[in-house]
Amino acid sequence: MPSPTRRTLLAAAAALGLLGGIGTASAAEELRILAWQGYADDDWVAEFEKETGAKVSVVYAQTDDEIWSKIKGSEGEDFDLFAVNTSELQRYIDAGLAVPHDLSKIPNQAKTLPQFRDLSQVRGVTRDGKVYGIPFAFDSIGLIYDTTKVSPPPDSMSVLWDPKYKGKILLYDASAHNFSFAALAEGIETPFNLTDAQLQELKAKLIELQKNALSYYQSADEALQIYNSNDVALIFANFGQQQLKAMKDAGAPIAYVVPKEGALAWLDTWALSKGAKNPDLAEKWVNFVVQEKISDALTKRNGFGNTVTPLASAGGNDKLVYLLPVEDFQKRSDLWNEVKAAAQ
Amino acid sequence: MALPLAGFLAYSFFRVEGGAIVHEPGLANYARFFGEGVFLPVFARTCLLAAEVAAITLLIGYPVAIWLATLEGQRKLAMTLAFAVPLLMSYIIKIYAIRAILGGQGWLNRLLLWSGLTTAPIEALLFNLTAVLITLSALLLPFTILPIFVALERIPRNLYEASADLGGTAWTTFRHVVWPLSRSGALIGASFTFVLAMGDFVTPQMVGGMSGITFGRIVYSQFGLAFNWPFGAALSVVLTLVVLAVLWLAAVFGRLPGAAR
Repeated sequence: MPSPTRRTLLAAAAALGLLGGIGTASAAEELRILAWQGYADDDWVAEFEKETGAKVSVVYAQTDDEIWSKIKGSEGEDFDLFAVNTSELQRYIDAGLAVPHDLSKIPNQAKTLPQFRDLSQVRGVTRDGKVYGIPFAFDSIGLIYDTTKVSPPPDSMSVLWDPKYKGKILLYDASAHNFSFAALAEGIETPFNLTDAQLQELKAKLIELQKNALSYYQSADEALQIYNSNDVALIFANFGQQQLKAMKDAGAPIAYVVPKEGALAWLDTWALSKGAKNPDLAEKWVNFVVQEKISDALTKRNGFGNTVTPLASAGGNDKLVYLLPVEDFQKRSDLWNEVKAAAQ
Repeated sequence: MALPLAGFLAYSFFRVEGGAIVHEPGLANYARFFGEGVFLPVFARTCLLAAEVAAITLLIGYPVAIWLATLEGQRKLAMTLAFAVPLLMSYIIKIYAIRAILGGQGWLNRLLLWSGLTTAPIEALLFNLTAVLITLSALLLPFTILPIFVALERIPRNLYEASADLGGTAWTTFRHVVWPLSRSGALIGASFTFVLAMGDFVTPQMVGGMSGITFGRIVYSQFGLAFNWPFGAALSVVLTLVVLAVLWLAAVFGRLPGAAR
């Protein structure tokens, strides 16, 4: 066999160099997060990247639906950590898409507010003694009203059905919540576990509500934009105090009320994905954001509650009904389509 | 490209039980589409809406394309670009802009009130099917204009002169020369617009208000928490078949005698 030519040696050296290059590139760990806007701000990411030397990539979702389809659709492989509501988390656990946290890696969790410190007391985050979701942010789903257009100040969601405000109402386009809040307004004590008869009755009520409304919205920004160029008096505040803050900051003369029959409330947590490539790094991120500095910034920037510092605007007498998994997502979605189609 | 479509077709025969997809073939989804009372009416209305959008863009787009074809040099280039550039803009941003214009307190109403043409804001321009019609027509207009423009450009100049020499008026020239030779361009443009309007689920959501549910929206809702991919796939297959039928018809009519090849 002839001795290697110079060209072959150069090619081999180049190949080795390339392999070496690829090797060092993959040595930097990567954290892939799927979250709501406001849960992974750029400056927090930059600080975390500096502290750990890892690279963080964040994808934002706008609805619960989207998170489910991204995680289920990729069987957990596309993300390491995702933000998920306590009412949805059980579904992910059932599907094996969320895996238990290692609390020993999240020391800051022990310094959260009393109601979040004992995770066995927080409904929806545990299963068989293991913790699947670390609480991070919460808010109520109340009613926003324009103080110059609505008087007297409303105290129940039933004001949305008042013909006085026909064409001046904004609703949130999502099946589950609409049936739940309508159930509360009707005085039903189990809004997340409705019988077929109740669902049909509420469907009729929601069709009536539709006739009173102006439009749907899907994001807090969108609600504000519609409010700005149209005559809107009442908004079903799916994004609660966050929405309130954004509209107030924009100068709108609005106020917030938690209805007397109770407001739906959500608690968002961080869940570890089945396909997490680097679970330790994911736990580091959770520990990082559950520290007072970051959690406080979360509230200051967005308006909703965090698990470390108390929230000034939440009233002590507010009746909050934390979201639970509904009896049948698919059924509610189909019925909601029927509600929307009926408004022709 | 055939593989994802084949996958969709396969999925449309499966079903969902208890939140998981059951891979057993069956016609349940199609039976549901035709049987349950909500889907066919919405589908029919969406077809009608898309046809209206195609008709409107044709009525507006054709004269615009003719006008563009009569321009010369720099002006022609500039004006053609003016109609093509919106295609480069983000779809959602355009809808946001239109929504801000059409609202009760939006720009259009403010202009009308200020100029004295109206005394009260017109509320009927937004959050209904009319708004969807207006918005889709505005968004899809370039898709109709451009194919017609291209077809017109291909007509040799000397045909116009020949027609004039033979004593033809502008209308006769149009009827016997321009229309037959640009008809296929018009059909292509109109069918593109129809197809795009059929599948759109963003525009109805953003400007359709309470009556703005279209078929695209129903398909979209199957892929979220409802997690009913098989049904969504079946709905998509129906949509695809109708769209293919329309495109095929356009191709057939475009080849009738007298049309440009």
